[in-house]
Amino acid sequence: MVAVRLDAMLKEFVPRRSVTTSAGTVRAMIEELEENYPKIRFRLRDETGALRRYVKVFVNGDEVDRTTGLATPLAGNDTVDILHSIQGG
Amino acid sequence: MAKGTVAVWVGTRKGAYGLTSDAKRRKWTVKGPAHAGNDVFHVAADPRDPKYVYALANNGWFGPRVFRSSNSGGKWAEVAPPMMAVLKDRAKNEMGGSEAGPIVNLWHLTFGPENEPGSLFLGIDPAMMFRSDDRGASWVGLDGLNKHRTRAKWNPGAGGMCLHSILIDPTRPKRMYAGISAAGVFRSDDGGETWTPKNKGVRVSFQPEQNPEVGQCVHKIVLDPADPTIVYRQDHDGIHVSRDSADSWIRVGKVLDHDFGFVVTAPKEMPGEAFFAPLEPMSRLGTGGQLQVYRWSERTRKFTPTVKGRPFPGDLGTHRDAMDSDWLNPSGIYLGTTTGQLLVSPDGAKSWNEVPYRFPGIHSVTVAPAA
Repeated sequence: MVAVRLDAMLKEFVPRRSVTTSAGTVRAMIEELEENYPKIRFRLRDETGALRRYVKVFVNGDEVDRTTGLATPLAGNDTVDILHSIQGG
Repeated sequence: MAKGTVAVWVGTRKGAYGLTSDAKRRKWTVKGPAHAGNDVFHVAADPRDPKYVYALANNGWFGPRVFRSSNSGGKWAEVAPPMMAVLKDRAKNEMGGSEAGPIVNLWHLTFGPENEPGSLFLGIDPAMMFRSDDRGASWVGLDGLNKHRTRAKWNPGAGGMCLHSILIDPTRPKRMYAGISAAGVFRSDDGGETWTPKNKGVRVSFQPEQNPEVGQCVHKIVLDPADPTIVYRQDHDGIHVSRDSADSWIRVGKVLDHDFGFVVTAPKEMPGEAFFAPLEPMSRLGTGGQLQVYRWSERTRKFTPTVKGRPFPGDLGTHRDAMDSDWLNPSGIYLGTTTGQLLVSPDGAKSWNEVPYRFPGIHSVTVAPAA
């Protein structure tokens, strides 16, 4: 199973800080999150399907691209981190 | 809250605030921030039923969200997702180029006619208008405006390509107005089905063609409450008045040192009068270290400065939704600044004072009866 770690910024939408998934891609993993936790719909991705500007997804420590990176395959003991970069002031 | 009290809703860079006062409007109770950390471009109570309050919250991490409270801001719930789905279809199928992207910001909410209690109109960036008939649970785009034949000639102003003004003629509810920066004013006479540009007489100083059909950078429009064929317009290119329902415009602000600015309001109990707060156009600040509010009179056709002396020394600016007025007599007039001061006149601009609370930078000020 793939481990998905969620930063504390997402606690408004997902009560847990980690979940597991058998999804085969980053996109499928996010769709599964949206299915299981509907409040997170449109919060990680905008309505065009792209990751929001300040949402950062890492697979085994490597950041995926906002659009093309959603097709990144997931398997075995992969670890996904969903983080938010610092913005604003 | 006791009946007859005034509620002022303030949208700021860091959340929404609700203020209440009695009819004297001298002492205020401040509650907030709600939606702390969100850029609340507009928060407003429904004048038809003011326990319903709506906040348009924009957030760099999570995107734009509409929140609704049914108990005067005590609790809030998010209501926007159906609108996002509409835009998902738009992005895929109907628009090209840069407009294929997501919503940039939610800008402005206007409430529908008295006999349509759940109706709302929402303006966003990229410039589009949506209608809800169920207090925000679902939204329909007004395609007559959103796919207007002139759209390719619309351009973003410094704040983005925002639809920031939505007006409904109280005497003729099928007549609506929209203000888009920088596309200009549009009017519908059929409840939002079809729209006609209404910018005759408003020049465009920032492009080669100075008198185009569209492209004007309107900043805010309001109707005269006693005679809604009179429309007051604060435009990038000056202060204008229309006396024929926006069919034509006259620039009345040339007599001022500057008639650039963002805000305008027309109090219900002051027919034929509107208030503007002009700014120096390069700095977007009041001049001489004192923000001035001018009263325009349709009867005398003159401006009168209303801020006497220098009660609020400093260099202050305003955002376009940051001035409103109430329904009482004498009129209350409210003006928020980009640096968080809320200025109040409880007597039709005879005097001004400042609410003793320093807010984050203020985007919007909206008045309603307290629920």
